[in-house]
Amino acid sequence: MDIGNRRTGDEPPAARGLIDDYTLMEGIPDEMIDPAGNVRPGWSALISAFEDLGPEELSARFERADQYLRDAGVFYRTYDGAEGNERPWPLSHIPLLLDESEWMLITHGLRQRAQLLENVVADIYGENTLVSQGLLPPELIARNPEFLRPMVGVKPASGHYLHFCAFELGRGPDGTWWVLGDRTQAPSGAGFALENRVATTRALSEIYNGMNIHRLAGFFRDFRDAVLAQGKRLEGRVGILTPGQHNETYFEHAYIARYLGFMLLEGEDLVVEEGQVMVRTVAGLRPVSVLWRRMDDSFVDPLELRYDSRIGTPGMVEALRQQSISMINALGSGVLETRALAAFMPRLARHFLDTDLELPGIATWWCGQPAERQHVLDNFDTMVLGQAFSTTLPLDDPRGTALGADVPDDQKAALRERLATNGVYYVGQELVRLSTAPVYVDGRLEARPITLRVYAARTEHGWTIMPGGFARVGSASGDTAALSMQRGGQAADVWVISSSPVERVSLLPQDGERLVRNQPGNLPSRAADNLIWLGRYIERCESTVRILRAYNARLAELSNPQLPVLVHTRDYLESVDVDATEPLPTALLQAIDSAVFSAGQIRDRFSPDGWLALSDLQKSARRLAGRVRAGDDATRSMTVLLRKLAGFSGLVHENMYRFAGWRFLELGRRLERAIHMARTVAFYTSPDAPDGSVEILLEIGDSVMSHRRRYSVSAGAQSAIDLLVLDQLNPRSVLFQLTELSEQIEALPGGVEDGQLSPAARCALQLHTQLVVAEPAEFTQERLDALADDLSTLADLLAAAYFT
Amino acid sequence: MLYDIRLELHYDYDAPVSGGRHLIRVQPISRPGSQRVIAASLRCDPAPSVEHRYDDYFGNAVTSIVLREPHESLDIRLAARVQVDDLHPPADLSPTIEGLQQDLSRHWSVSPDSPHHFLASSPRVPLDTEITEFARASLDASPSVRATAMDLCKRINAEFAYDPEATDVETGPREAFLLKKGVCQDFAHLMICGLRGLGIPAGYVSGFLRTNPPPGKPRLEGADAMHAWVRVWCGLDMGWQAFDPTNAIEAAGDHIEIGYGRDYADISPIVGVLKTSGSHATRQSVDVIRLD
Repeated sequence: MDIGNRRTGDEPPAARGLIDDYTLMEGIPDEMIDPAGNVRPGWSALISAFEDLGPEELSARFERADQYLRDAGVFYRTYDGAEGNERPWPLSHIPLLLDESEWMLITHGLRQRAQLLENVVADIYGENTLVSQGLLPPELIARNPEFLRPMVGVKPASGHYLHFCAFELGRGPDGTWWVLGDRTQAPSGAGFALENRVATTRALSEIYNGMNIHRLAGFFRDFRDAVLAQGKRLEGRVGILTPGQHNETYFEHAYIARYLGFMLLEGEDLVVEEGQVMVRTVAGLRPVSVLWRRMDDSFVDPLELRYDSRIGTPGMVEALRQQSISMINALGSGVLETRALAAFMPRLARHFLDTDLELPGIATWWCGQPAERQHVLDNFDTMVLGQAFSTTLPLDDPRGTALGADVPDDQKAALRERLATNGVYYVGQELVRLSTAPVYVDGRLEARPITLRVYAARTEHGWTIMPGGFARVGSASGDTAALSMQRGGQAADVWVISSSPVERVSLLPQDGERLVRNQPGNLPSRAADNLIWLGRYIERCESTVRILRAYNARLAELSNPQLPVLVHTRDYLESVDVDATEPLPTALLQAIDSAVFSAGQIRDRFSPDGWLALSDLQKSARRLAGRVRAGDDATRSMTVLLRKLAGFSGLVHENMYRFAGWRFLELGRRLERAIHMARTVAFYTSPDAPDGSVEILLEIGDSVMSHRRRYSVSAGAQSAIDLLVLDQLNPRSVLFQLTELSEQIEALPGGVEDGQLSPAARCALQLHTQLVVAEPAEFTQERLDALADDLSTLADLLAAAYFT
Repeated sequence: MLYDIRLELHYDYDAPVSGGRHLIRVQPISRPGSQRVIAASLRCDPAPSVEHRYDDYFGNAVTSIVLREPHESLDIRLAARVQVDDLHPPADLSPTIEGLQQDLSRHWSVSPDSPHHFLASSPRVPLDTEITEFARASLDASPSVRATAMDLCKRINAEFAYDPEATDVETGPREAFLLKKGVCQDFAHLMICGLRGLGIPAGYVSGFLRTNPPPGKPRLEGADAMHAWVRVWCGLDMGWQAFDPTNAIEAAGDHIEIGYGRDYADISPIVGVLKTSGSHATRQSVDVIRLD
């Protein structure tokens, strides 16, 4: 149905505008155009602003939003094909506009629903009156894989089971909003909603500021404050519990941890001592009292829940029994996501709240009851049939659900038989038709199906609803199955339009608010371990690149690979497992991958710029790997890589806050550089080193100029040792590294206690003192190798003190 | 009947283990109407840094221990005196399978003892159509649910060989079904799997058997180790009845119960998380002496 010739407000009928070309789907409500054919509030301003900008400018604006997302490193992970598949976040640039009056209905309905869900879960894990009064069939609980028996009778420390929920909404054919699903287990996406907002407003800032759009920050502030208040009451830290970097929404966990200022923790960061959850930090064990869980509940404790969980913390259930920790949400709350439960919600609302649901759910018939089963069998063709105990939203479950009419004829009888004999495991649901909203495709607006994800958080004043959220947009018109982003759908920002100016909120402390500083001792040991290794890998890359550059430059100039100094260099590289006959050795690529992997484990501690610099390095190296030729070409490539490494180091040096995290990164770099320098100097100043060794050594040590300035003599082994090992002022010398190491180690937690140095601090100081008083002539190859070994011992002492 | 029970579990580690957290479920508890625990003590060596007791969901006694100091072995010793009532198997008052479905639909409870917990797949016993078909022969041959359970119990005993070498603690019911051999744990899982497939609630019981048989009776299989059998819900009138498929008998008098769950995973003697890469060996010894 083409609905052209529409007048919007008092605008003159211009040339056919974006709205004139917008085609609605028969019988399907639309978010921009109301059933009477009028443009809904807010949309005309938005679309006419688009028209004023014109297609070129609009494309440039949208590219700006995409650029922001790329720069911020907003990704999601897909599971099709290769491991580590990170895809750019698929933003649909047109926000979904909703009027405040309509939003009020949603807000009101979701508050009621959150309240009801809390009542239901409290009964399921408490007195079970719903079953004994005949309101919930016992099978629905006793056969439910989400029902966690060890949690029965465990009262939440906060007094509540639910603190943060998400709801998937859709607008039904009658124009009202429906709840398609409740997400109570570990709802994801709140961070993505924030990023959608930032990206969209980058592109459309003046439009956004010209309309009264509700801000999102107030919602997060209220939730953060509520969580911090819980943490304070239970006297411990607040953390986000993540399954780790291989989870599809790990980026979001890191992002939201940074945004709210919570620690990002994995199961192995935690240990339970005397019923109290503690985080292993570089300053020892510290109590944790609130965990915002982004991990499915059964994985949280391998001792009492899933025995095969490798990401959990043994004893967590014990800590919950002792009420020393608050879990958001309580373990076991996933039972509320059970598909068949939808059939009982209207009845439960009347039971608990003495009223009907303000927002209806999908009509659902559980086939465990005779009358309902018969209804489904009688209306088989028009029913969506699916698993009763599934927690996947029906829309996201094309493989697990089917419209009766679409079941192949030869399978119908078997399915009907299963419904009849094993009805407990099946539901029939009405077919969901979603409303459409515009997306911008090739200069035109197209109608696509949408759902709305909205978040609710418990505060001390009750449930608060995020004024916005994110909309999921189908990849093709009419194809509701394509909503999932795993299958090519998109996400859009949601703007709630107010009729009056809105409050502008920021998460920065306001006047009169007390500033809370995080203490350096909060650095989890695992993060410190990753930081030290990141530092070491980066430095290892740099030293390898420098040697390869020096090697290839000589290869190009001398064009005889058998020259002794080249053979000697190949031998050295071989001793560190680098094959110099490869123009870009595999070992170098591996070191870069390892650096990226270590950084990926601690993404919450990185600025987006740092992460970008590192992934850029990895991409460049991989691109070069296939096509670099030995000699000149390799020399140039190494210079490129060196520049990118310097870029990353520069960002770290200039931008990273001098917290314990930075110290560990720095320690890793200094240790690796000192060890590498001691080993290379030993190798190139040994009695059997060929001609040209000292020159190449100075080049590897980036000290050719310094040598020229510092010594009047031509380069010899003694002056090289003096400059690269013993020179206080040369940032490449071993002594320089030891000065830094000593200083940093003493500043670590426990570095100096009651005037006593820690074993690592003592070791660093001893090595430092030895070098300060030494003469170049003392440094035989043996002495230098021993120095390198001592430095490795220092690394072990640090690991023993801070990472175990 | 009065029994003295001694149990010793021994674990050796390849290398010293630094810290470990375990849940131990070996201590019998009193069950009104069937057994009464007069005295019981559980000791661990090395002595745990932290130890405490609680009842799990099914009411089983759990001892939670934390071993902080490095250790190369772990010993768990139980001594208990238990009075067991010799419940003479009552007359068969159980319904037909249709009657059982009626009883279930009238049973509005999810208390830990409710039969509804014992019908679905559980961690160690996934429902299996072939095992269900095997069990269906017992259903077709029997007039009641209890008779079905007894028939299946006897058929497992007749058709499966007792062979401690054939399976281990990780073996699933399907594997044992195909091997046609196993030990008490396998037979119990098989029977549970078959009964649940038919819609009959069935659970796993862990416990002990008297070591020496009464005069003139054969020594029961599995008496020198911890034992396992099956509890079956036989309708509202009879409730739970216990069957021992390893010995093709009803479990009464000679059987001392530690506890029950949906399958082995709910009531395994020790669950532990050890910080070690080395595998560990285990030995166990059981003595159950009748005193009266």
